[in-house]
Amino acid sequence: MEKTLETSLTSEHIKLGAKMAPFAGFNMPLQYTSVKEEVVAVRENVGVFDVSHMGEFFVTGPEAVKFVDYALTNDFAGAAIGKAVYSPLCRENGTVIDDLIAYKLEEEKILICVNASNIEKDFSWLKSLVGGFDCKLENHSNDYSLLALQGPSSQSVMKKLQLELGEDFDYYSAKELSSPHGELIIARTGYTGEDGFEIFGGHEAIKKLWSKLIEAKVIPCGLASRDVLRLEVAYPLYGHEIHDDVTPLDASLKWTVKADKVSFMGKEALGNYKPKYRLVKLSLEKGIPREGYDILNSREEKIGTITSGTMSVTLGRGIGIGLVEKDKFPEQKDFKVKIRKNTFDAQYHAKAFVNGGHK
Amino acid sequence: MASLIPETLKYTKDHEWALVEGDIITVGITDFAQSQLGDIVFVELPEVGTVLEKEGTFGVVESIKSVSDLYSPISGEVIEANSELEGEPEKCNEVPYESWMIKLKVKNAEELNELLSPEAYKKVCEE
Repeated sequence: MEKTLETSLTSEHIKLGAKMAPFAGFNMPLQYTSVKEEVVAVRENVGVFDVSHMGEFFVTGPEAVKFVDYALTNDFAGAAIGKAVYSPLCRENGTVIDDLIAYKLEEEKILICVNASNIEKDFSWLKSLVGGFDCKLENHSNDYSLLALQGPSSQSVMKKLQLELGEDFDYYSAKELSSPHGELIIARTGYTGEDGFEIFGGHEAIKKLWSKLIEAKVIPCGLASRDVLRLEVAYPLYGHEIHDDVTPLDASLKWTVKADKVSFMGKEALGNYKPKYRLVKLSLEKGIPREGYDILNSREEKIGTITSGTMSVTLGRGIGIGLVEKDKFPEQKDFKVKIRKNTFDAQYHAKAFVNGGHK
Repeated sequence: MASLIPETLKYTKDHEWALVEGDIITVGITDFAQSQLGDIVFVELPEVGTVLEKEGTFGVVESIKSVSDLYSPISGEVIEANSELEGEPEKCNEVPYESWMIKLKVKNAEELNELLSPEAYKKVCEE
């Protein structure tokens, strides 16, 4: 068995009494006090997550932008310097290797942040593509720690910590910053739907910053509340809604595939692809639609499967997202979910369950 | 933090508690169980009249992250289920020993002798 890895903050989490669990090979905090309290903190005030398990790649050189734009399905070339782009990373046949955020720090310097469980898969894939471009690809996942400061009060906390980002640092902005805590890369991104910042830095700088945040009474939050928060705003998670056997078009991510780009990996396959699935958002009056549960039509025939589900702390209802076979999608949008022996009528949500507060 | 194990109750290795009163037992989940599960958000209990086998499942308790079966400490018939708990599952976290789930009419009194004492249950929690 492989050894469980630690982030630079693992011992801090244990000191704070976090319930720890292995995730993507890392010993990570699942929750500190209560998942409910952590979700409420992020929706109403501010919380901080250690997400140092995630991977960081750098692409540098004259054709860095051209390369990243070619590798991603979304439009990266068109993004301004100092902006970030969310995108799937696809194979030639259009299936999803991972989803990621690419940050255009400079014209010739790009940071790519990928899911922890896909670091090696992504890196070897990108390495196989980079040969034809005049740029360098490096994996710095072991050199960086990453904090996500999330919630409506996150901006005032940033100011308190003397992390001044300027007035025009709006949603999905990114920049390198020499701060009193060390050299950092800061982006106004996150996985909660709320306003917030992701802060990349060396391990020592991030450890210092973490202590300052805890001193400032920012609530430490674990992966369990992170999952509730992202599900409430219906953000997909790799390994659940998207994975090796589906394309972005199966998971209602058409907006991330810019078919009019001149050339990109997967362009031809995705251009001809007829989606097999459609993503649905369902909630229940009673019970929780969990991953793996059957989605049924009104005649109680199976038409799909829940891919992620939890109890929404904000709504006080069980919520789930799932993939329904496109040709069986009921026009009346009358869905049921099978939980153990019983079936329950589900409420269909056209939009996310909860509106995050980010601008 | 050590969990609470009242002296007046009996226990199972699956972390249920049982209050024995003549041929009726009252069943819930222990303080250790609720702290392991975290925020409890859903409880599903059986109908009155359901006949349970010892160690058969009688319901489900769900935290935000997990789904766990509830196991009957003994064989018997459900004579009451605490449906109020379904409306306020967080009580299982707050007051686990007041949050009873079902009352059972004991079928075989000898099975009561197989329930764990507080001391024996403490060892289960320490494993």
